Amino acid sequence: MKSYRFILLCVVLMVAQVFLVNYFSLSRYVVISLLPAIILMLPLKMGTVPSMLLAFVIGFVVDFFSNGMLGLTSIALVPVALTRFGVYGMVFGDEMSSRADVVSISRLGVPKMALASLLMCGLYFLVYVWVDSAGTVPFWPAFLRFSLSVAVCTPVSVLVSKLLRPE
Amino acid sequence: MARGGKFFAFFATVAVFILLEIAAVSLLKRSSTLQDIWINRFSHNVMAATWGGLTRIGSYFSLREQNDILAGRNYELFKELQRYKEMEKAVQAMAKLDSIDFQTRFNYVPAEVTAMGTNSRHNYIIIDKGGEDGVLPQSAIITPNGVVGMIYSVDRHYSYGLTLLNERVSVSARIGKEGIVAPLTWDGTGTDHAILKDIPLHLEVPVGDTVLTSGISNVYPADIPIGVTQGSRLIDGAVNVVDVKLFVDFKALRYVIVAENPDREFIRRMEE
Repeated sequence: MKSYRFILLCVVLMVAQVFLVNYFSLSRYVVISLLPAIILMLPLKMGTVPSMLLAFVIGFVVDFFSNGMLGLTSIALVPVALTRFGVYGMVFGDEMSSRADVVSISRLGVPKMALASLLMCGLYFLVYVWVDSAGTVPFWPAFLRFSLSVAVCTPVSVLVSKLLRPE
Repeated sequence: MARGGKFFAFFATVAVFILLEIAAVSLLKRSSTLQDIWINRFSHNVMAATWGGLTRIGSYFSLREQNDILAGRNYELFKELQRYKEMEKAVQAMAKLDSIDFQTRFNYVPAEVTAMGTNSRHNYIIIDKGGEDGVLPQSAIITPNGVVGMIYSVDRHYSYGLTLLNERVSVSARIGKEGIVAPLTWDGTGTDHAILKDIPLHLEVPVGDTVLTSGISNVYPADIPIGVTQGSRLIDGAVNVVDVKLFVDFKALRYVIVAENPDREFIRRMEE
């Protein structure tokens, strides 16, 4: 029952992401993405390879239905899935993943979840901004875009985490 | 077994990651011209750097071959230069040259140094050419930079010689093209230093003059550079000696040329 709810919420968040990209643009320096939080909250029993495949598919679907460039989101999201367990180990400790626990904000606390979200969003936007700029944007505007996007998306990711696993 | 499984899982993860990223990049290339150009430029840079690196590594490992080629070319150029020098001398001596089919006086054989001593007072050299290659005893060992020594004995494939860094070796040398002729020997003080002996007191030798082989010898070809003068000093109140800084770096010597005078036996008989 819980997994059905999780899958349903993931689909809703993907649709929300498509709407955000198509109809809700804060600024050219701020990109809002809910996708790193979805990857962060995937079940621990899902290994790295399935997580990467899922990240690729999610990125492809979001790019397909939005006006964005096909492949851009997948390029940025797959490394997030690759480093997911590394971030868990760094922020929550190794024993958590070895016990196959569930990542939830109520168990691990807001500060740790915020730190994990920061790392995930940081990696996501590092790749996203770099590839999107394609060598045509100078360093400081690109850095500003990266910083503002990470600053906005980290608290958003914490909220999404709370939504996905409220227990 | 568990370790093998972990390795496999690691490589599988990396492989899937690379494949997915390649797939995403391919999609991006098709959907955006700007990204397509950027990715192409990036891949060209990576390829250029990779090929450049591989070429540099290949060049490094082929240095030995390149050295051999350069030594061979050096030898050919030296032979050519000697031919012109001797031709020029002959022209000057004969007033007119009847034929341009001029034959050089010396035969040259390129060789590689097999072993060499520089630490004793009687230093030697062994080269990888011997009697079967046309090397004869009492041939000169030279380089385009200067005199190295003289062949002492010859085996079928190797030759043993005495270097200039040997007190038993003396070379007839001239200071400058038209200057005084004097014997040059090693004084045992260093591998880059020799002396010109028996210089009359009334002659002043400027510092920095080039010292060349005189050609008044049936062993060494004429006008091979030996070194430069560094100054003179009085010995026993009777004669001057001139210090000479040698051109040949004996410690780094690898390729030499053996110069053999085919008329040497004839000249020796005439002298008798």
